[in-house]
Amino acid sequence: MTKIAVKVDDLTVAYNYKPVLWDIDLEIPEGVLMAIVGPNGAGKSTLIKSILGILKPIAGSVSIYGKPYEKQRQLVAYVPQKGSVDWDFPTTALDVVMMGTYGSLGWIKRPRQKEKKAALEALEKVGMLAFKNRQISQLSGGQQQRIFLARALVQNASIYFMDEPFQGVDATTEIAIINILKELRKAGKTVIVVHHDLQTVPEYFDWVTFLNVKKIATGPVKDIFNDDNLTKTYGINYKVSIQK
Amino acid sequence: MNSAQIEIQLIASLVAIACAIPGTFLVLRKMAMISDAISHSILPGIVIGFFITQDLNSPILILFAAFTGIITVVLVEYIQKTGLVKEDTAIGLVFPALFSIGVILIAKNANDVHLDVDAVLLGELAFAPFDRLLISGIDVGPKALWIIGVILLITISLLFAFFKELKISTFDAGLAASLGFSPAIIHYGLMSVASVTTVGAFDAVGAILVVALMITPAATAYLLTTDLKKMLALAITFGVLSAISGYWFAHWLDASIAGSITTMLGLLFLIVYLFAPSKGVIAVMYREKQQRIEVSLLTFLLHLKNHNELEERHVNHLREHINWQKVRAKTVLELALKNNMIMVDNNIVSLTEKGDTFTSKAIDYIITNEDAQIEDMKDDFFLFRG
Repeated sequence: MTKIAVKVDDLTVAYNYKPVLWDIDLEIPEGVLMAIVGPNGAGKSTLIKSILGILKPIAGSVSIYGKPYEKQRQLVAYVPQKGSVDWDFPTTALDVVMMGTYGSLGWIKRPRQKEKKAALEALEKVGMLAFKNRQISQLSGGQQQRIFLARALVQNASIYFMDEPFQGVDATTEIAIINILKELRKAGKTVIVVHHDLQTVPEYFDWVTFLNVKKIATGPVKDIFNDDNLTKTYGINYKVSIQK
Repeated sequence: MNSAQIEIQLIASLVAIACAIPGTFLVLRKMAMISDAISHSILPGIVIGFFITQDLNSPILILFAAFTGIITVVLVEYIQKTGLVKEDTAIGLVFPALFSIGVILIAKNANDVHLDVDAVLLGELAFAPFDRLLISGIDVGPKALWIIGVILLITISLLFAFFKELKISTFDAGLAASLGFSPAIIHYGLMSVASVTTVGAFDAVGAILVVALMITPAATAYLLTTDLKKMLALAITFGVLSAISGYWFAHWLDASIAGSITTMLGLLFLIVYLFAPSKGVIAVMYREKQQRIEVSLLTFLLHLKNHNELEERHVNHLREHINWQKVRAKTVLELALKNNMIMVDNNIVSLTEKGDTFTSKAIDYIITNEDAQIEDMKDDFFLFRG
């Protein structure tokens, strides 16, 4: 039996007493490349942020390989939405990637040669080594997203959470990113992606979770990615052509 | 220079450094106005601390005042969180309320002491050397110098210890939280340092200059660099430069030192704002002009590439056809000629081999790199220009 990488029990999250996630139960098996899909305001980002302890749920619990997140930080990497940071911040691409090493360093300790080397390797993996000294505002949207991916790669985690990594990136970058994600899965990592483009779900992912405040369904794409679940999630008669 | 003059400049410089450090992070966190709020709302803290200690330079008084600074931040955040008003409104509600409590407390109970509203707002650096610190009867220097010196030492130690944490939580609070660096702890840590620094600097330079010293050097530095460490170093340099030049400006004018330092800060910002190499107003205007010409050049070359008909490539026709003014058409034509990208034969313009390759390459570049701006092509343009 495959191990459960992430387990969410009875999770309820509210903003100002208005629930945005209601009683979510979710088990994500190790080694899947999973899309979280659902309409705007379905709580997709909220789910990830609650699992990572960035938001405090009003009920329920989360475990990573059977233990609370606080004890398993080293196993988890997170790619926030690109728009969540100020790209005019005075720093370089390399420096942003180095931030991925801060977690393993802990408080006060500074990154050294070892961390720098790891960051350069991650930059190379996403094809951004040539831009390492570029100020981050001078990168294109796709390049910025690659930097964010490199920052997650440098954490060398077991589970990767990504919040809309394909938003506002060009086609070349999208392909480059999905190839890296597929490589991660091949290496036995678990990758969880908030995703918007339903057309590409069967092509990119092998596991999917339908979410709209409540969990609609979760499981292998080939079994549950169908018009029935799409309609339940998006509330209208939803039809996509699914390549089986 | 006599010793009092040196002491005043030293105090002003240390205050400038102590303010520039938290100020840099406040500017990057888009929280410049919170320093204004803190500088005003610590007043009741100072007054209450003074009632208890009866000593304007007591460390307890500084702690009291810093505590009111933190209360300000908490109140602002609390009001903002209700979602009923925006952050700037919340700031505007909180600090006048706290400040006015301080003003009333002074008026009612502290009329006979040095604490008066003028001194609070503007400070009086000129008197700082008269208030000496005596240790077992020996004069070790002005009290203000020691207070700000200690605060600066603490600030610098904290900066060195938590530089990485400050950077990550300022740039990406979500990532910081997921990695276990509580953004709340760092936020309130920074607010505490800003509050303590404000109190320490306040007696010497007053509430208004404290804000100027926190925000202006950082804002000036922000225009000049894309590196956080350099931004800190530049902010400190600008602060000290303004402190010293401001002192001599005041000396020359026989005016308020605090006012003169603030004037210098403003002048420095203005100069950088105009002349900064890449973000300055003039640089931006120049770049936009260059870009306009380069885009025009490319449009022109593309037109030549797309049209083989002679009438489309006649010099006079081009001008009407692409709908450019005479001057612009002439500039572009000359630029293209100068770079051997076109040749003119009997008033018929055609692309040279070089021009043809360049146009294909440039178009290729724009198409394959969708979101790269035209600016990214500058290397190419300058390269071809020779």
